[in-house]
Amino acid sequence: MSLALLILIAAPLAAGLASLRVPTRRAMERLQLANAAVLWAAMAAVVAGVGLKGAVSFGALLRADPLSAFMDVMLAFIGGTALCYAVGYMGEELTRGHLGFLRYRRFFVYFDLFLFAMMLAVNLDNIALMWIAVEASTISAALSVGFDRTKAALEAGWKYIILNFVGIALALFGTVLVYYTAEHALGVSMDALSWTALHRAAGSTDGGLNPVVLKMAFVFAMIGYGTKAGVAPMHTWLPDAHAEAPTPTSAMLSGLMLNLGLYAVLRLKGLIDPAVGPAFTGSIMLGMGLLSMAIAAAFMLIQRDYKRLLGYSSVEHVGIALIGFGVGGPLGLFGGLFHMLNHALAKSAAFYAAGMVLLRHGHKMIERVTGLVRLAPAAGSGLLLAAVALAGLPPFGLFVSELLIAAAAYRHHQGIALLFLGLLALAFATLLAPLTRMTFAEPIHGDTVQSKPIHDDAVQDKSLHGGAAHDRPSEDARPVTAGPDRLMLSALGINLAAMSVTGLLLPIMASDWLLPVSALLDAKAGLP
Amino acid sequence: MPSSSVLGHPDLGSQLINLCSMLLLLTAFAIVAQRRLSACVDLFALQSVFLAVTAVLVAWFTGSLHIYVAALLTVVIKTVAIPIILKKVIERVNVKREVEFVVNIPPSLLICGALVILAFSVTEPISKLGFLLTRDSLAIALAIVLIGFFTMIARKKAVTQIVGFLMMENGLFLGATASAYGMPLIVELGVFFDVLVAGLIVGVYAHRLQDTFDSVDTTKLTGLKE
Repeated sequence: MSLALLILIAAPLAAGLASLRVPTRRAMERLQLANAAVLWAAMAAVVAGVGLKGAVSFGALLRADPLSAFMDVMLAFIGGTALCYAVGYMGEELTRGHLGFLRYRRFFVYFDLFLFAMMLAVNLDNIALMWIAVEASTISAALSVGFDRTKAALEAGWKYIILNFVGIALALFGTVLVYYTAEHALGVSMDALSWTALHRAAGSTDGGLNPVVLKMAFVFAMIGYGTKAGVAPMHTWLPDAHAEAPTPTSAMLSGLMLNLGLYAVLRLKGLIDPAVGPAFTGSIMLGMGLLSMAIAAAFMLIQRDYKRLLGYSSVEHVGIALIGFGVGGPLGLFGGLFHMLNHALAKSAAFYAAGMVLLRHGHKMIERVTGLVRLAPAAGSGLLLAAVALAGLPPFGLFVSELLIAAAAYRHHQGIALLFLGLLALAFATLLAPLTRMTFAEPIHGDTVQSKPIHDDAVQDKSLHGGAAHDRPSEDARPVTAGPDRLMLSALGINLAAMSVTGLLLPIMASDWLLPVSALLDAKAGLP
Repeated sequence: MPSSSVLGHPDLGSQLINLCSMLLLLTAFAIVAQRRLSACVDLFALQSVFLAVTAVLVAWFTGSLHIYVAALLTVVIKTVAIPIILKKVIERVNVKREVEFVVNIPPSLLICGALVILAFSVTEPISKLGFLLTRDSLAIALAIVLIGFFTMIARKKAVTQIVGFLMMENGLFLGATASAYGMPLIVELGVFFDVLVAGLIVGVYAHRLQDTFDSVDTTKLTGLKE
């Protein structure tokens, strides 16, 4: 079991390093698919271990408690499908000559390292080392976001870097403050940084951790890690990054990286609430959650680019999860966690479908894409189902989590619950309208990539290849396929199936699973 | 406990550390007041030297050996490696000065003064608790972080924004060292590594910006709105 934890973290690292030297496209595909398989197997073992023994550790620093195991499931499952999808998608790009083999390889190096850093961050029993891993994931994501050599991608990458690096610096300040107060309780050593030790110290009433310092630490950490999670008003990097990054990266950003930010905030909340009471962190999270929802819903009205639209939708859903955590109590916390998982599944599925649309049309404009259900049935129905899920309709899991959060909010304050529902309705409309138009409206033929010369204005600007003159399309190029690749389709299908499972079955089964997590975060008390 | 193990002259130790922290703050103001990019980088290197000296002082007076290692890393990475990288970027993009500002120099300096006052008032409840080796170090650290952040948003050229970010990191290191006696060594190593890689990435991005946009004036990055 402990070895499984090590494998879970080491697998993407090994794959990333191996990707530097992979000789052919076939070999890369096999490597990444093996990576995905190992991730799934290791994840299952770790979850089994946590279920049996409460926690799985390897050495002094790697430790998977129920919350870590929850994140492991999310990261491994969606990381695995994202790897399948990336193999298919980047393979198609390689075939079309949009990038050479060297850059194809580099893409997977960044991708794997990104996954590795995130996996490491959620399994470390140390607040400062977690920060280091989160920073590493920020760096590898920065490399992935600016991957295309277009002006827009560079601008998105720069914005991403500025905002996230500042955020991470503020989060470090919060970490330093926690360490500073922990030193007095736990001594000057690594123990003062361990989550388990900190939890214990926070809970003890005599000479534990200083509440004033903790409150300040939380504010810095909320702003810092919140930037990473896409919380408003620090979210401005998010729509740009999602629109300009290669689609598999967008899926990873929305599905996994945002949840990593929320994970860090949650850990700190779990640390601070026993010492300070839940009202402080709860009200901050509630306020920022509502702000995120409002801003996202407003901006979704004016979107013309479907990847940007999905980016703003992510901001909205992060807001929803924050509201759940802010209101607290077992209902709110369960709802928030469940929402994180379901949103990750639904949003990555939406990006998988959107990527297929992008490959077909070569541009990201909503108004020029129509009739997908008839013209591109797989992409069209996938996009439709994902959109329906994101809008919060049953039988998908987001319906359940939003219902739980609404119920928890109602218990706390009726006005807030009504505001929440109103914003949900607004977001429902602004998300579904453009996406259903893309899938159902009368088809405009002849807008696809095959019907005009391959003209990659939205995908890449060839004139900027500069130093990539020696990249040539790979030798074993296959003819441009008429429909999306099998791997992309399976990734999409797996996610959609998983969403149905969580929507229909999981609420019944999940009590044993998510309740220990709620206990860990001291969810007995919520906002009054 | 650390605060009681200050050897020799506790007052002398606190005063020396305070002096160094003040010098750090002065260099921060100097960077804000600068137009020439290479001078900004030099001032950042100077600031890092003062930071290393502060770390050495803390290590001397508290007897924590691992802080010496952190001080050495500061010298190697922040006074030598990163300034060299940044100077190369400046040469490459052939931009020598900030010509226009988002906020001009005199109001910038006033705002930085206000940020220092803000930092002191925010950290006052902590320093009253009397746990720190020196009362002002955490406040100065926060002030430098805020000034670095301000530099990032009040200046247009990518290189100056990078220096602002690195200043924030300096402030954080000061905060960690002088108030928390430095974090465990492995943490310091990890943080330094991250800062180095982050600096490299930002340098690479500045190159690419120059190649693509023919300038590192970040106000030209207005393609993506709403």
